[in-house]
Amino acid sequence: MLHVSLAGALVAVFIAGAMASTLWWMLHPPSSFVQRLAAEAEHQLERLVGSVIVVFSADIESGHMMALAAKLAHGERSDLHAVYVIDVPFTLPPDATMPDEERAALDSLGAAEAIAMHSGVNIRTDIIKTRNTSQAVLDLAKREKANLIVLGSYRDGKYTGAPLSSEIEEIAANAKCDVLIGVEGKHGTLLVDESQAGPAASQEKA
Amino acid sequence: MSSDNPQLRRAVTPWGSFSWGYSDVGADIFIGLGLVLAYAAGASNFAFLFAGLVYVCIGLAYTELAAAYPVAGGGQYFVLRGLGDFFGFVAGWAILLDFTIDITLFAWSSVDYLSQLLPPLLASIHPWTHFTFVLGLIGLLCALNVIGVRESTAFQGTVAAVDVLSETLILCFGFLFAFQPQILIHTMHTAWPSTFALMQGTSLAIISFVGLESISQAAQETQRPASVIPRTSVVLIITILIYAVGYSNLALGMQLWHPLHDVHGHAMAFWQLFPGNGDNQGKGIALLSAQVPYYGAIAQYYVPILGAILLLISANSGVFGSSRIAYSMSTSKLLPSVFQRIHARFRTPAVSIFTFCGLAAAVLIFAALPQLDHGARAAYDRFFHGEDGVTFLGDLYAFGAATSYSFVFIALIALRLADPMTPRKFKIPFNIPMRFRGERVEFPIVAVIGFIGIFSILIFTLITHDIGRIAGPAWVIVGIALYFLYRRGKRLPLFRSQAHDWRSAQTHILRNAGELELMDEYHANLKASDERRRAAQP
Repeated sequence: MLHVSLAGALVAVFIAGAMASTLWWMLHPPSSFVQRLAAEAEHQLERLVGSVIVVFSADIESGHMMALAAKLAHGERSDLHAVYVIDVPFTLPPDATMPDEERAALDSLGAAEAIAMHSGVNIRTDIIKTRNTSQAVLDLAKREKANLIVLGSYRDGKYTGAPLSSEIEEIAANAKCDVLIGVEGKHGTLLVDESQAGPAASQEKA
Repeated sequence: MSSDNPQLRRAVTPWGSFSWGYSDVGADIFIGLGLVLAYAAGASNFAFLFAGLVYVCIGLAYTELAAAYPVAGGGQYFVLRGLGDFFGFVAGWAILLDFTIDITLFAWSSVDYLSQLLPPLLASIHPWTHFTFVLGLIGLLCALNVIGVRESTAFQGTVAAVDVLSETLILCFGFLFAFQPQILIHTMHTAWPSTFALMQGTSLAIISFVGLESISQAAQETQRPASVIPRTSVVLIITILIYAVGYSNLALGMQLWHPLHDVHGHAMAFWQLFPGNGDNQGKGIALLSAQVPYYGAIAQYYVPILGAILLLISANSGVFGSSRIAYSMSTSKLLPSVFQRIHARFRTPAVSIFTFCGLAAAVLIFAALPQLDHGARAAYDRFFHGEDGVTFLGDLYAFGAATSYSFVFIALIALRLADPMTPRKFKIPFNIPMRFRGERVEFPIVAVIGFIGIFSILIFTLITHDIGRIAGPAWVIVGIALYFLYRRGKRLPLFRSQAHDWRSAQTHILRNAGELELMDEYHANLKASDERRRAAQP
């Protein structure tokens, strides 16, 4: 006949308590200085990528930055919002149909959706028509309470010699959130493995 | 933190560090319980408590040293650093004995645990099958380590987690539903052993606490070792102490779920399963878990398998531990450079692995001989009072551990006096402040108590174990002879040490360990010490 003794019960409780508390203590060592630095940086990153807007336009090529934003968003479980901004000239009414630009916007946003899907990230896409690209992006960021605006630099062939376009400079200067600008390197090799570029790249350089 | 030489990656987390040690020490109680109950009978809990208190001192010493000197050499390195080349060799050689015996003993016991579910593996009934299986396991471990296949850290961590949970549940269920204090008192009163048997039991109890070395071995790969190792070591000490003292008291004071009877039909106490029964001695926890009310219904099926896996992991830690120590000793010019040789294809220290697995196989033959051959049985009965295989292995294991731990205590004292500049993030309590060579130092009282404790266990081993008293010292003497031959051949000092730049070495160690704050503290201590010395000069 089995019966529970008080001494046995107390020992059992002591063993269970001692094991649980010592293991918990072991698994929670105090942080070192470098770990605190790392934690602070990670915390800032979380704040940075809570809600991310990726900007495309006829002048701004953001494909590679979209890939980077998707990776960031995947790690931090952020929301992505890709917008293609169509600059409507004053010679046209604000709601004018611009089939070529709209077609380019659909391509860019389609690619953005594919990148996001590949990274397993939720994404919203929008096309905005505006008279002023930078103001439209700033307004959107304010309305969406974005934490980060991600954008690339000029498209190939539109480089005018200025470090950045006036739109990008305006966005960077006036945004109330962080702005991440991907400027391609001297030979346009950002995120491209030079060793795989092959002879074509060499000829291009020559 | 770049370097020309590739460094070990610091990937071992706090749980990883714990499971490294637990895979080694945690497996010990699986063997130790049965052996100690066989000899110390009603005083088994006392034997475990005494050995456990010594183990606490050992654990504290290892914790302080591993946190201060987070390198892969472990005890051998501490002794080398504290006492010089010769004693560093003796300590390392004793640890090598332990790791070699570890391979055989744990492979042997792993098969014993499997025999609980597979009776054809019982050593007493099918000795050749048992022997062949153990030899096969040693061969398998040797081959896997030469090829470079190791159980993953994740697997090791999972087995450790399952085992911690399982052992805790067995103890909790056992104490809750089966423990009766009056049975414990009765057993201690009626089955208290002779002094000789108690000394035998105590010397075997220390084998339940061998393996802290593994945490020190992994120090170089542990994240922030100076912070993490003290915690993992302290938790390991507490865990193993709870298990050893808990299991021994439960074994002596439990009301059996399935009453046991001897061949005459008389009721038996649980501890009476073990004296003179080699089969049972090797699988104490499996037998006990089956007697735990309710939980035993499940435990009796999985504990033998879990025990066999944990014991096999522990045997494997003997293989790579011995090759690591041999490599470390070889780089310190304590062993020939052949032990540094790496296999061209597999990139593993094949010579070391073959050497120590070969020695483990030789030890196995010696241990298994009495059960394989009647003539050998008669000789063992005549000269060694009939010690059986698992006891013989336990003897040597206890001898190696007690010898190396004795040196570690002396090294701790020496390093406290000679190297007070190294920051000690963990320091053993109870110290006497004093001045030594112009520096303020703290003399560790616990190290002295621990040394007395472990040295007395060494003496118990030599007095009470007929094979251990011959084979253990013979191992040390042969090792010293080989050491002298090697050092003479290399024109190196025999008793004195080579020149070492410990200051640079310590900076290098702390930098590689990622303990940058401790490195700054070390440099500040050195600077202050140098200034004091300059100021003291006329």
